[in-house]
Amino acid sequence: MTALLRYVKPVWDVIVTGLLWLYYIPGWLVLCPLLYLLAYFFAANRESAFQRLNHLFHRGFFLLLRLFTPGLSWQVQQEIREIRSSVIVSNHLSYLDPILLVSLFARQKTIVKSDFFSYPVFGWLLKTSGYLPSTTGGEFSPMMIDRVEAMGDYIAAGGNLFVFPEAHRSRNGRIGPFSKGIFTIARRCKAPITVLLIRNTDRLFPPDRLLFNTCISNTIDVSILARITPDYESEDFSLSDLMADVRALMENRQEQRP
Amino acid sequence: MTRTDIETEILRIFREGFEIDQPNPDDHLRDKHQFDSIDAIELLVAIEKYLGSELTQAEKKLAMEIRTLRQIFDYVEALAKKRQLFSEG
Repeated sequence: MTALLRYVKPVWDVIVTGLLWLYYIPGWLVLCPLLYLLAYFFAANRESAFQRLNHLFHRGFFLLLRLFTPGLSWQVQQEIREIRSSVIVSNHLSYLDPILLVSLFARQKTIVKSDFFSYPVFGWLLKTSGYLPSTTGGEFSPMMIDRVEAMGDYIAAGGNLFVFPEAHRSRNGRIGPFSKGIFTIARRCKAPITVLLIRNTDRLFPPDRLLFNTCISNTIDVSILARITPDYESEDFSLSDLMADVRALMENRQEQRP
Repeated sequence: MTRTDIETEILRIFREGFEIDQPNPDDHLRDKHQFDSIDAIELLVAIEKYLGSELTQAEKKLAMEIRTLRQIFDYVEALAKKRQLFSEG
């Protein structure tokens, strides 16, 4: 790193982080409420309209990020944006991952910590977008049950459900233990599974850091590892085997990480 | 439908549906067998099939608080009694 860059980088990290926070909260409050209210009152399919608005808002976020982060390049396989009617599972490295996937899919649902559903405005957005609260009891149980039960129709109509089966961000790049909930939903909906691998979002927004890590050479890479169409009706079908296969796919590719 | 019938059926569902073999009735299902809330919803569907009737929202909500297999046996027994399907056997 050159001497000049050593001085510039910390300042630029703060500027980019500040800019993105400005976009994310005050920016949302300025740009979006009218659009969401129009969608809420007039859209034929309110849930789908909210998902599309979330998608566009987050595309804007990553556009800004790419524009103002020197050294950052982007490799997202074109086919990813064309995925429809699928359960999508991915590794999880950074807080950026969920919003990155929202920015890639116009029709998207995911499972979100149920506490967030109680937050003002944000909770309303999550509820109206049709996202699923992750809960093992309490006030959001009926919502979770309803949404899991309706998931088959949503996926059949072209929607995607993406989830990080590790549930938590990996701190060392290795694939953590899987929760099986998403695989159970896939079986219930008889949905194909698309396995994605995300790389380097942890270098861009490291887990223990509040600031974006700019001015380094970094490539955010999202690729399809496999498209699996399990034979859920087969007597030989096993959820554990399916999970093990997906895990092996992610681990093998991780080992090839440059 | 007796308590033994219920226990046999629930154990079958666990074995075939969730690949959980011979769980201890007092095991904490989430901690010991990674039985999560989505599994609980799947279990409710299987219970509806077994009882031959849909569960109400209140009954489903109650199920989400269940933590052990024994609680599931009690829960299904209560549902069967309410639907007059249960016999002391």
